[in-house]
Formats: sequence, C-alpha cells, structure tokens
Amino acid sequence: MGQRDIVSYETSVRRKSRIRTASTMCRLDVESDVKGPEQHGNALPSSRYMVGRGVKRKLSECEDQMLDLPYPQQRQLVLDLCLDKLQSCQRRAEPSLHRSVLLANTLRQIQREMRQEGGPHHPESPPPAPATPCHSPELPPVPSDRPSTPVAALSSSLLCEDDDAQSTCTELPKGPWSEDVGKLPDLLFGSFEITNSTSYLTDLQLDDIFEDIDTSMYDPSDFSVLACPPPRGSSGASLGNDYNLKAFSTCTTSSSTLQMCLNDLDHIMEILVRS
Amino acid sequence: MAGSGGGSNDVQWCFSQVKGAIDDDVAEADIISTVEFNHSGELLATGDKGGRVVIFQQEIENKSHPQCRSEYNVYSTFQSHEPEFDYLKSLEIEEKINKIRWLPQKNAAQFLLSTNDKTIKLWKISERDKRLEGYNLKEEDGRCIDPNTVTALRVPVFRPMDLMVEASPRRVFANAHTYHINSISINSDHETYLSADDLRINLWHQEITDRSFNIVDIKPVNMEELTEVITAAEFHPNQCNTFVYSSSKGSIRLCDMRASALCDKHSKLFEEPEDPSNRSFFSEIISSISDVKFSHNGRYMMTRDYLSVKIWDLNMETRPVETYQVHEYLRSKLCSLYENDCIFDKFECCWNGNDSVVMTGSYNNFFRMFDRGQRRDVTLEASRESSKPRQVLKPRKVCAGGKRKKDEISVDSLDFNKKILHTAWHPQDNIIAVATTNNLYIFQDKVN
Repeated sequence: MGQRDIVSYETSVRRKSRIRTASTMCRLDVESDVKGPEQHGNALPSSRYMVGRGVKRKLSECEDQMLDLPYPQQRQLVLDLCLDKLQSCQRRAEPSLHRSVLLANTLRQIQREMRQEGGPHHPESPPPAPATPCHSPELPPVPSDRPSTPVAALSSSLLCEDDDAQSTCTELPKGPWSEDVGKLPDLLFGSFEITNSTSYLTDLQLDDIFEDIDTSMYDPSDFSVLACPPPRGSSGASLGNDYNLKAFSTCTTSSSTLQMCLNDLDHIMEILVRS
Repeated sequence: MAGSGGGSNDVQWCFSQVKGAIDDDVAEADIISTVEFNHSGELLATGDKGGRVVIFQQEIENKSHPQCRSEYNVYSTFQSHEPEFDYLKSLEIEEKINKIRWLPQKNAAQFLLSTNDKTIKLWKISERDKRLEGYNLKEEDGRCIDPNTVTALRVPVFRPMDLMVEASPRRVFANAHTYHINSISINSDHETYLSADDLRINLWHQEITDRSFNIVDIKPVNMEELTEVITAAEFHPNQCNTFVYSSSKGSIRLCDMRASALCDKHSKLFEEPEDPSNRSFFSEIISSISDVKFSHNGRYMMTRDYLSVKIWDLNMETRPVETYQVHEYLRSKLCSLYENDCIFDKFECCWNGNDSVVMTGSYNNFFRMFDRGQRRDVTLEASRESSKPRQVLKPRKVCAGGKRKKDEISVDSLDFNKKILHTAWHPQDNIIAVATTNNLYIFQDKVN
C-alpha cells in the first residue's frame, strides 16, 4: 500500500472570536486550550468525500488520553463536538437528516445527563450562528412558544434566499444554547425536505395560503427569474417574495393556465421593477 | 463450480479484474456508490456519484477450458440521473446513484431500477445486432427516395451488425419523496416495488408512475420530536406481503401489508437490548443500522451496524442468532471516528448464493467474510499490490494492541480514507465484486 506522508489529523473549531485549534485528533491537550490561529494544512474536511488528496487519514494515539480524562470532561468534549457538527450541518452541501437526528439525539442525551446531575453544568455560551452570507443580525431571537418557531424558520429562510440564493440558510437561534437547543432539531429537521414545496409549506402550517400549489408541473428553468429577484433592500425583497408566493397560489395545475400564471408573475415582476 | 460447499476458508480468493482509473487522484464523479449483480450473475451494474451506471457482462466462458475464468467487460454505460436544483431550498439534489436493483428477466431485454435521492428510473437495456436493409423509400443513409423513381419493390432484409447495447429510460417515478431515498426493493410479485426515504416508504406499481401508495410513515406531527429515521428497507424474497425496514436506533420492523394499508404498526420488532458494559456516548450512533438484507431462502435477515453484522432468525425477535464483529478494534477509537465523521459511514453487507457466508466492508480497503457454518472469518484486502492475474489474496490481520506481529497492521496505521462500503456476491458462483473509492475489484475462487 503506498505509504504517503503521514500527517496527523487535525481539526479546527471556531469558538466566538477565537480560533481554537487542535494538534491532535480529540483536542485532549487540556493545558494548551487555545492555540493561536495556526495554519493547519489539513483542516476538517467538508462533508464531501475526502478524495485522494495524497494524505492518509489515520487515527492518532490520543484516544487513550481521552479515556483518561474525567468523565465530565469527556462529556464536555463530546458535547462540543456535537454542537459543532450540528452547526456545520447547515453549511453542508448535502445535508443528511439521518446524521442530524443522530447528532441531536446524542446532544439531548448529554444534556439530560447534565441536568440530572443538578444543573450547574449548563453548556457554556454557545458558538454564535455561523457567519454565512445570509446571516441577518437584525433577526430577533426565536420566541419560546412552539407554533411560531416554524414561522421564524420560514421567514428567516425567505429573507436569506433574497441575499444569496446559493447558500442554505436555516438560521440558528441566537442566545444561550440551553434554551434553544430544544428548538434546534425543529429548525434543522424542517429544512430537509426536498423539492415538493407544497408539503414543505404545509408542514409549516401555512395551508391557507399555499395549499393549492403544485410545483410538479413546473419546469425548473422557468424559475430562473423568480429564484433571484432583483435586489431591492431587505424590506422590498421580502415583500417581493410575498408577492411571488402569493402569485403561485393563484396558479392551478392545469397546463392551460400555467402560461397565464407565468404571465401574471411577469406582470408582478414588472411592477416591482418599476416601483 | 458452484459455491455450494465452499466456506470462506475452503475457498481461496484470487484477484480477477479491477475496473476504474489507476491514478490516485480520484474524480469525485467516479466514486462508486452502488454495486449489484443481476439475478443470473451474468451482468454486474455499478452506479457512481456522477449519476452514471456502468454495466459489465460476463463473457461466456469456454466450458472446455475451465481454467480460463470468465471476465466481466463493459456492456453498457449511460447517464441515469442528472443533478437538479431545488429552488425553494437553494439546495442541489445530487445525481449520485444510491441504489440499483435488477428486475427479474422476462424477455430478451434487461430492466433495472436506479435511484438518486429523489427520483427512481426504470431503464431498459436491450441489444441490437441486426439492422434492416433494403428499404424502398429510404436510402441507406436515410435520405428519402422520390416514390416516382421507384420501379421495383423489394422486401427489406435483416443484416447482422456490430452488437449495440442501448439503454433507454422507460419510466420515471418522481415527486413521491420529500426526504432522501435510501432503498429500493423489488417485490417477488414481479409487479410492485418499494422505495424508502428517511421517514416514509412508498409502494409503486412498476408500470404506473404518477401514483404511489404510502405504506410506512414515521414522520412525527411535530418535527421537533423526531428521534428516529428509516435507514434501509427490503421486501421478503418470496413472501410478497412482507417487508422489513431498519432504523437509526438499531431496530428492525417487519411489516405485513395484509394487515393494513398503512403499515405503521409492525408485525414484528427485532431489537437487541444494549450491552450495558459497552455503553458510551456513541452507543446510539453505532447501533444505527446501515443495511438490511434477507437471506436468499427467506428464513434469515442480516443487519449491518457500525461495528458488527448480525443475523436474525425471522421467528425470533429478541436477539440475533449470530453476531460477527467486523472491526471491534475500533470500539476504543470511537471518539476519533466521531470527530472525523467516519462513525457515520454506511457499510453494506451481502450473502453468498447459498446463505452460508456473509461479507461486508471495512477500512483500509479491507473486507471481511464470515462463514456461518464453519464459524470462521477472514479479512482480505482490495489493493493494487495484490492485483496480479490470479494472484491469491493473503488474509490480513489487524493488531489491536500490544506487540505487532509480522505482517500485521496496527490500528493506528489504517487508512480511513480507504473504505469499502459496497460489495456484491454473485448469486450462484464464488465471484465477488468489491468497490473501493473509485475502483471495482472482482475476485473469484481459485480454480485448480
């Protein structure tokens, strides 16, 4: 087997404004918690297969050190990893519901354990929401009552789509993790449905407006205009989105009215552009 | 000779062929994502991340010279799926082929189902080795002949031509899955098939594309309460009313479609209680089942979780009848594997033709075979170094700790980039197809 340069596997994690890097696999170097922003050649790869870059990925011997740590610290380590991975789920090109469910379950289990132990060990101030292009600092914290959470997710993703149609941006709630992690799975899991816009929106309890949408007839190429509405500033764009979605609701599945719907949408676009 | 008596230790596995690029710089589109023999074993299909299907055909071996092992050569290549874009979510729908399943052959043509995350397609692969010549109104190059110039009529005749294999999409089954499709399975009734995504299983008729029946739905009303997803599903090989699906929590549910239209209530639940001495933060993650396969005789099913392969008797739900450790030496490394995401790798498993041996993949391009009858197992490697024609594969051994013997490899030297997730076993003979990242290895038993 071709032995290539063995580079010890490294990972870097962002914590607030500091870059905490690790020289070993499991960041067990407890005495040197924070290293400077070092350049590491092989940062944690994205979700895509790490394909033949010439670096053999292998385990380091640190695993034994992990087992030597006291249990609470082991648990904290796993908790940190879990949160990082859940955050990075949002940024992945191929989000996996299976993976997110497993991570969320692990997280819940650790939290439950921590709570049972009496609560002084709530997770520390969490990492902020990822600095993706669609990050909207004006977004109010997610309210604690459940029914509005899906709406917050919807509105945040609509706003996000104006800014950058290419990025996935279900916004993570700000504020201490201990309150919002419960909502985290909902915001995570709500974003996993593909293509069938009817069921996605129905799940978010907006049946009234959108129940008769059936996008299965539409050719995706027709959406090229609609997917990227002209930049208008946040209020205008979100208004534009509302118009677009409401226009959808007037379209029926009949192919004879499809052309009419598209004409309506063109008309609306003209209005937006002119106003 | 059929592999009816041969256990993994009676058989000596030899290298036969390797398909795919030799260089180490792997194009992502070439990563093999599924491997499947057809029902006769004559055809071997692979799907890749780029949405292509490549089918190999076994050359008819010279019966008078059994020393010449038959080889698999490219029979057909086609682009099955293209990438799509979900505009609402700003997400790309991958063209990666998740599964290929062959339909039982009914006529001269071959049919297979291939699926990506969202859409299933039925492909017809047919041969053409004759063409018509001697049309009256058409020239050989296709130009039309003016009818007024025709003075005599002739009957067109068939003339042989070079074999041409055509693949054409016959059905497209779309828009039935909101989540990522992980499994398809063809029913023994030869009319229907199922497709499973993370939360739902749908039943289709092979001819009807605009309708499917939802037979399992585990989606909670409130997605916040979601704690379990479907990871694999398969129809029973001879009972057309029975299917199983596995979950991310390590349980398998057997459902009977005669009981009700929506099979949310299982008929049997197969679950093994967790061994408390092995409990860790990662217990749930490693218990997630990545593959489930019925035995050919339909009496057993096999499940693959991260560290082991379990054989279940369909009549006993409380625990598996056999458990085989694939790479137990990884149990102490789970934190590292969690960090580098390897713990989420989904390994498949397969039975041999007479259900006596099972096979699954591991890391470092190792794959493992477990002989159920002889209670023996072997670790083999798919590597370029062992790729000389008819070279016998040497069993490999991983040293878990302590002093490393000669020829053993230590756990810390394993290459976790080189994983064998997909393997397939010929339905009758001892021929196996093992997929590394972008190469397909074919091994056969040694012929004396």
